[in-house]
Amino acid sequence: MDFTPTPEQQELKNAVREFATRECTPERLLAWEREPAGIDDATHRAIAGLGWLGVGVPESAGGTGGELVDLAFLVEECARGLVPRPVTGAIRAVAALAELDPAAPVLADLVAGRRLLALAFDEETARAPGSFATAVSGAGTAARVDGAKAYVPDGLEADLHLVAARDGTGTSLVLVENRAPGARAEAVKTFGGDRQAHVAYAGAPVLAWVGTRGGAAQALAVLQRRQVALALAEMVGGMDAVLEMAVTYVKEREQFGQKIALFQAVRHQIADMGTQFTAARHLAWQAITRVASGTEQGHELASACAYVGQAFKRLCWTSHHLHGGAGFVVEHRMRFHSERAQSLCIRYTPEAPALAEIATALLG
Amino acid sequence: MNYDLSPRESAWRDEVRAFIAEHVDESLSRETREVGNEGRGPRARRFLDALRDRGWWGLSWPKEYGGLEKTAVEQWIFIDEIETAGAPMLPLTATSVAPTIMRIGSEDQKQEWLPSINQAEIDFALGYSEPEAGTDLASLRTRAELDGDEWIVSGQKMWNTMAHMATHNWIAVRTEPDAPKHKGISMMIVPMDAPGVSVQPIWVWPGLRTNALFLDNVRVPRSYLIGERGMGFYYAAMALNFERLSIGSIGMARRHFRALVNEVKTRVVDGRPLREDPWVRERLARLQVEIDAARMLGLETAVALDRGGVPAAESSMAKIHVSELTQRIADTGCEILGLNGQTHAQEPGALAEGRMQWLYRIAPMLAFGGGTNEVQRDIIGFMGYGLPRK
Repeated sequence: MDFTPTPEQQELKNAVREFATRECTPERLLAWEREPAGIDDATHRAIAGLGWLGVGVPESAGGTGGELVDLAFLVEECARGLVPRPVTGAIRAVAALAELDPAAPVLADLVAGRRLLALAFDEETARAPGSFATAVSGAGTAARVDGAKAYVPDGLEADLHLVAARDGTGTSLVLVENRAPGARAEAVKTFGGDRQAHVAYAGAPVLAWVGTRGGAAQALAVLQRRQVALALAEMVGGMDAVLEMAVTYVKEREQFGQKIALFQAVRHQIADMGTQFTAARHLAWQAITRVASGTEQGHELASACAYVGQAFKRLCWTSHHLHGGAGFVVEHRMRFHSERAQSLCIRYTPEAPALAEIATALLG
Repeated sequence: MNYDLSPRESAWRDEVRAFIAEHVDESLSRETREVGNEGRGPRARRFLDALRDRGWWGLSWPKEYGGLEKTAVEQWIFIDEIETAGAPMLPLTATSVAPTIMRIGSEDQKQEWLPSINQAEIDFALGYSEPEAGTDLASLRTRAELDGDEWIVSGQKMWNTMAHMATHNWIAVRTEPDAPKHKGISMMIVPMDAPGVSVQPIWVWPGLRTNALFLDNVRVPRSYLIGERGMGFYYAAMALNFERLSIGSIGMARRHFRALVNEVKTRVVDGRPLREDPWVRERLARLQVEIDAARMLGLETAVALDRGGVPAAESSMAKIHVSELTQRIADTGCEILGLNGQTHAQEPGALAEGRMQWLYRIAPMLAFGGGTNEVQRDIIGFMGYGLPRK
């Protein structure tokens, strides 16, 4: 048992926290919301310069090394500080590609922030690879993608899409240029700040194959579990921020001539938030470390999904409630966290399938 | 970050499991079910003797007192395994009274009490609560006045569990009537055979026996006041620290939950396996998630203790979570077992050893006992998040 980061991990956390405190002010959060990319170019380049996009990427490919646990610390701090979602999206995408193909030539550009990659997996009514309608066909330079991907984070702004597609009886992962003929992305207005797009592929050319053609199902399954683990880390960061804001507010806010923290009904809501956060943090990190080392012993990931996502949303509701109108104004940080809570939960940790997995573990 | 047991911790867990495999059998489980805590049955006594022979009464004790000085995580492992097996837990004499004497007693007091505790020659009941002093313990009224070399003790204690079996009582008494109420209390040992001591049984809902203790001008030697005069309230709080790991342990509730799951796996109702009922599946899955969360809160407390902290907020979190979760497990368990869910343990047809209805009856005590959950939530607010008291 060891619940502390290594010195290097702590250093990374501190650097991100310092950056977020300085840069992610309420004014800039509102300004970034108006940017099509969800962030301005200068900030994106500055972040690339800090090396965040190279975490989880081998040094031979221009990255700074590290593995899933390091990535998790990074995105946890990004989420705590409300670093724009396109940044965590880019971090996720680069690391995913590096994991699938550490020698992919495009990695150096992605790490440097010169190009942007989006993960195009989900479809409107399909989330499991076996159900994808999007297909890849043909060989060599004649290979083409046909179909549609939905709710692709950063799907419009990205230069490249990593597309998961049916390939005969198997599954393939391919890189497609977003601006190639036959690929058409359209922004879709969603909440959560991750700039989603629907993308239609009509004979879009394959730029490169990633991994074994037709044999990507297993790699994709592993990749998706690791994406879920990163979402758990983001949730922990968000919960920590939400709890801290609520604690600060109830210590300051006065009504009926006293700090509202003196009301037991208020104090006890803080206590319950704290309990849920503590349990959620450890369930999340247990799952993250076990997924990272491939040593899952049972249903750790499902349990974390079922608990953490719901707890994050409960903490947000409670914090909103304690803040009252003060936390409801558009520039307040609370609503960014609340949107991200549900956005992350819907994509990565929906409760029903997690409970179903646990029930199967218990009862067959 | 690492959530795995270390090799040393794993080896310790295996050692505890091997001990349990050797000493716990169905007859001990049956005896525990049947007698509640109305006296320890002969099998439970043998089990506790075996634990003592192994030196495990002193798991948490410093080495200078013959203890093993196990880490908090190792103690947590022990508690979890004992509860998982449904075996009797170490007596409070070993886990609460003895470590308190080790820390606050004079050398003479240590020499007088610790060897006989270690030899199991004496056994304590704990007398803190009174009729008018429950959650507000510092308002207790039992008084001790010095008369020469003796204290004269008068008053009444409540919920004095095991007093009818114990050789001694470890009580909080008011020795400084003029001091502020938190500063006027001392800890004192009262032999149960002293003239003026009497015990009345109090039977509580789940079929357990506790007691009222009456003290009528009981004379005890001056040296039986342990530690410093007026520090008793803080000593009681210290003793509670030693109980943090067991108070928030999920082991007992998880054992009953597993028994419930095992029944659901094989039971067929109206020609349909109960395990296929989606409502049952969802309920059990939700409880399992909360059990997983409870384990984490217990570990958080243990790891914080090993880092040298006083995890008051963390252990309060575990206590609240486990007590309220146990209520839900009991409630859901009774319902899922249907009409059988109301069956007493003595009935041969009782599913899950008839423990669901028992758990349903005992669960309320877990939330109001050991410091009410309201007090625990206050502790989290004050100690965990620095909320103001006034």
